[in-house]
Amino acid sequence: MRTWTERTEIIALLGIAIVSQAIGNVLLSQGMKFISEGSSTIWSNWLAISLQAVRTPSILFGVGFLIMFFVLFATTLSRADLSFVLPAISSEVIVNVAFANYFLQETVSATRWLGVVLISIGVVLVVRSSPRTFGLENEPVAVRQEVNQ
Amino acid sequence: MITALTIAVIVLADTAADVFLTKGMRQIGEVTSFAPRELLIVAGRALSNHHVLASMAFMAMHLTGFLIVLSWADLSFVFPATAMVYVVGTLAAKFILGETISVHRWAGTMLVCLGVGLVSIP
Repeated sequence: MRTWTERTEIIALLGIAIVSQAIGNVLLSQGMKFISEGSSTIWSNWLAISLQAVRTPSILFGVGFLIMFFVLFATTLSRADLSFVLPAISSEVIVNVAFANYFLQETVSATRWLGVVLISIGVVLVVRSSPRTFGLENEPVAVRQEVNQ
Repeated sequence: MITALTIAVIVLADTAADVFLTKGMRQIGEVTSFAPRELLIVAGRALSNHHVLASMAFMAMHLTGFLIVLSWADLSFVFPATAMVYVVGTLAAKFILGETISVHRWAGTMLVCLGVGLVSIP
């Protein structure tokens, strides 16, 4: 039962983290494209662009959402495998493609949508496995056996 | 070419950040409460943990590369391309962190890899 509860909590935390990062990425993308308009190369005036970036609200809010993602990500890593969290969090690709298509009006091809479907199946397979395989020395035998499923 | 190079640096930096962060958070211990006081205590421990600090340095490298490449490339191309970190990270979890990767997890990770590859096709 402990494992089931932990899995539910970890998936809920990851869900919030995924949405936070997707929002952060859209805001960052909008901000960086806004400040790079009219600049042929970003390398020549990097300092000026950096100063402009920290004064652009969408970039600041974007960074805020990414900090929220970081806190949630770190929290789940204290309780679950990196090899569980990483593929599970690839759902953010799906959310990012959808957000980029909807909010940034970027074109998303049929091939990309097919990739999104494969990622979805992969994520379902991963979240069905036990979220934690480290530090099981003090756990009941049944919990330790579940990691091999 | 410069886009591919920047994305490779982003992926390697992100994997290093994930591995160091995992090591650091496991040293700090399980975070089970989101009460502000508890979070502040955890944040204090995290900011004095060498693994977490190293992770933040790599995370900063990752974010800088991400910001730079986003200024000329579409998010719906850049993000899936950098998502190769899921596969590289799973390999690092097995060989560096010593995690057990079940058959289901490997299959799921491979599907995610294939899906990410398809999504990355312009």
